[in-house]
Order: sequence, then C-alpha cells, then structure tokens
Amino acid sequence: MSNQEIVTRVNELMSRGFEIPQDKLTPNATLFDDLGLDSLDAVDMLVHLEENIGVKVDAEKLITVRTLQDIYTMVEGLVDQKPKSELSH
Amino acid sequence: MKVFVTGMGAATSLGVGVNTMFASLLENRSGIRHYPEWEKYVGLHTHLGAPVPEYDISRIPRSARRTMSRMSEMAVVATLEALQMADLPVGNHENTPRVLICMGSTTGSPDTLETYFKKLIERGGPEGQLGTSFFKVMNHSVAANVASALGFRGPVMSPSSACATSAQAMIMGWELIQGGMYDIVIAGGADELHYTGGAVFDIVQAASRGYNDRPDQASRPFDQARDGLVVSEGAGVVILESEQSAQRRGVRPHAQFLGGSYLCDGTHMSQSNASAMIEVMKMSLERAKMKISDVEYVNAHATGTIQGDAEEAQAIGALFGNQVPVSSLKGHFGHSLAACGAIEVISSIKMIQEEVLIPTRNLAHVDPTCSQALHLQEKRTGKLNNVLSNNFAFGGMNTSLLLSAV
Repeated sequence: MSNQEIVTRVNELMSRGFEIPQDKLTPNATLFDDLGLDSLDAVDMLVHLEENIGVKVDAEKLITVRTLQDIYTMVEGLVDQKPKSELSH
Repeated sequence: MKVFVTGMGAATSLGVGVNTMFASLLENRSGIRHYPEWEKYVGLHTHLGAPVPEYDISRIPRSARRTMSRMSEMAVVATLEALQMADLPVGNHENTPRVLICMGSTTGSPDTLETYFKKLIERGGPEGQLGTSFFKVMNHSVAANVASALGFRGPVMSPSSACATSAQAMIMGWELIQGGMYDIVIAGGADELHYTGGAVFDIVQAASRGYNDRPDQASRPFDQARDGLVVSEGAGVVILESEQSAQRRGVRPHAQFLGGSYLCDGTHMSQSNASAMIEVMKMSLERAKMKISDVEYVNAHATGTIQGDAEEAQAIGALFGNQVPVSSLKGHFGHSLAACGAIEVISSIKMIQEEVLIPTRNLAHVDPTCSQALHLQEKRTGKLNNVLSNNFAFGGMNTSLLLSAV
C-alpha cells in the first residue's frame, strides 16, 4: 500500500466514520481541536483502522498522536511491518 | 394537585409524529410486515414485525448520535416532538432541577448486544470492541441518550419493566409531581425491533406463527383466531406537568393525568393473572379518585395472546361488566414493548380530543374466553371524558392509569 493510498483510506475512514468534511482533512489538522474528536472517538478510530486497513494499533501509542499526519505516519509504519497478504483490501 | 399532559411525541409503526400516527389509526392501518430474513434463525417461528418508518435525527450532533441505537434515536425524535408541543425549551445545558427525565426500555439495544457478544466470543475477549458500543446497551441508554441529545442538566431516572416500562414511567412521574418533587416529568419508553424480541415470545408460544403469509391479519386481540403477538418498535413520550407550572407557563393542557397504579402479582413470571389486573385497576381508580361508573372507555393492553387476552377480558368484565367499550391497539401497531404504554396513552388522548373511539383491529369474532367485556369492533364517535388504560408485562407486572378530558 502506497503512502498516498494510506492517506486516501484514512481520510475516507475519518469522513465516513466521524462525519468530518473532506476539506477539513489536512495533514496538520489536530484530531481533538480541529476535527472535534475526543477520547471515545479515538478508541473507535483504532477499531476502524483495523477493520478497514488491517493494522492493529496499540492504544498506548495514541498518546503520541496529535495530528492527522501522525495517524498517516503511524499507519505507514505498521503497514511496512506486515506481509502484503495480511493487508485488508 | 392536578397533573396535565402538556406535550406528546411518538415514533410508531403507524408513522412518526402524533398526528401522522393517529391518522393511520383512523384509517385502520396495520404497521405489521413479513420478515423473510428471519426465516434463517433456527427455531424461530414468528417472521413478523412492525417497524417504524424512516425518521430524521440529523439535527442532533454526531457526538450525541454516536452512542445511540434505534431505540434512543426514536426516543429523541419523540421527545423533541413532545417538548415542541409543550413549548418547553429544556436542555442547552441549563440547570433544570424541577424537571425529570423518566424513561426506559426493556433491555439495552439487542442489535448492539448481539454484535458485541458475537465479537467477544469470536475473539475470546474484548479486543476490537468499539468504545461507543456499551453506551447503546446500558439499561439506561434511552434516558441517558435523550439527556445527552438535549444537553439536559437535571435529574434522570430509567425505570425498566419490559412491556409496562413507559406506563410505569408515566405513573411514577405522576407520583413524583404529586409528591412535590418535580414540576415537570418527561416520561416514556422505547424499544427497537430485533428478531430476538420475537424469539422471547416465540419460545413461550406467545408470538404469532400462523399469519406469516398474511401480515395485515396478524395480531388479533380478543379474536377467536388469535395466535399470539407481533413484536414492534417505537417510542412514546409525554410531558406531565403540574397545574401550577402549566398555568405559570401559559401552556394549554391536552388532557389530565388523573393517576395510576402498579402492582406485581408475585405469582408467575409469564402468565397473566386476572385477579391482579382487577386489583391494579381498582387501585388506579382509587388513586385517581374515580368511580367505576366514571370510566367511558378502556384501552386494553391485550396483545393477541391466548391466555393474556382472556385474563384481561375477564378482569375488565368483572369490573366494568359489558357496559364500557374496550379496544386494544396492538392489531394496528403490533406490540412495541417498553413504548406501548405511552403510545397508547397518546392514542387515547387523541381519541378524547377527536371524539372518536378506535376499535380493535382484526377482531372479527370475539373469542368466548374474552366475551365478558364490551368489545369495540367498529369505530364509534361521540364525546369522551374518562379513559382507563392498562399495560402488563412479564415478571407479573400490572399497571393501570386514568386520563380525562380538559
């Protein structure tokens, strides 16, 4: 999965799962202040990431996540660690 | 102290909104339809349900909607309608210590419970569960989600007694206003349609099995050919308000809530009991300071089961003879479980206002076991002052309440 594809799929997930308008989904947007998410949404986001992209995120890692770019970077790192056959389509 | 009904809201299988619902009742429509997709469930014989048509809750912020299943969504729809009718702008995070939200459901969302436990069992633990799931399955999910949607900052309680839930919520609301605890109670109940709701009754031979191919003929309270109930869904909410509060706010009451009572018979979990029904109706009349001869119409709980309908007809007949017209609305709505008490109160108030009595749908031939009461088989018009409404539930729960014209 390319980095651009990861950005597209994470943005789709944020838009569909949390009703965030596409034009707000910029890399520097902060999850809580700019996108209006909270800790409950963060837990659901992990489940959506697993179900839609096939990556399991350790909930403790969320403490370091602040912006949408942080999500892209975290997913890119996890995708790189997985064999291609395990990635969801 | 007089208690009035100053607002009403409904989401039902006969339509969303009180006026839409009542127009469907006047047209003698059925909300029941066939669910062929339920045929795959092993051991389930009833394939009928009565769903609520599409509704719109898009005006509720996502942060409140994310924890709602259908039952909470419908409760919010009904609450907003009731508050608007009562011209009561509660919420927006203002302190309202004299206003109580009192509403419940039979269980938490069955759809979410099924998804939650299916995943829990498959994965051998809670891994992968959504953080928002639990807030759809709490016993007080409906009340908490309504409060969250309104921004309600005040007292909330969530009674739960299955099919008597909203009746009990209203009676408790009346008691608490009478007791001087609150000026206004937002009372009601909600439940959502799911095959397990049908299964609960199917397992104890109380759900309709013989009309899967004729849904509009299913749910036949008091009829010779009745074969059980049909599960439905919906929400009913009423605004109960003290006379002083209604006068102070200058709001027009729709009816007087004269009083009510609840009684657990303590004898059997599933079988109805005529003597307990008689007792609760007597208690209700006494608390409402009404005589048997004051009652002009009885809105029966009768769900179309063999035993329950016969017991209720016997109880009503024992108290009122065959002089007071009786009907059940389960042939129209199906059985909306926790919502039915409030929906039937709202329907009864509309009957008072519109001066028309709605007959029991699908009652073609009164069963001899139900013949003690005077059954309404045709619409009847005329002035109506006082109504008694019954609701009963598993667990030996019996409720009865009285309404009057204003």
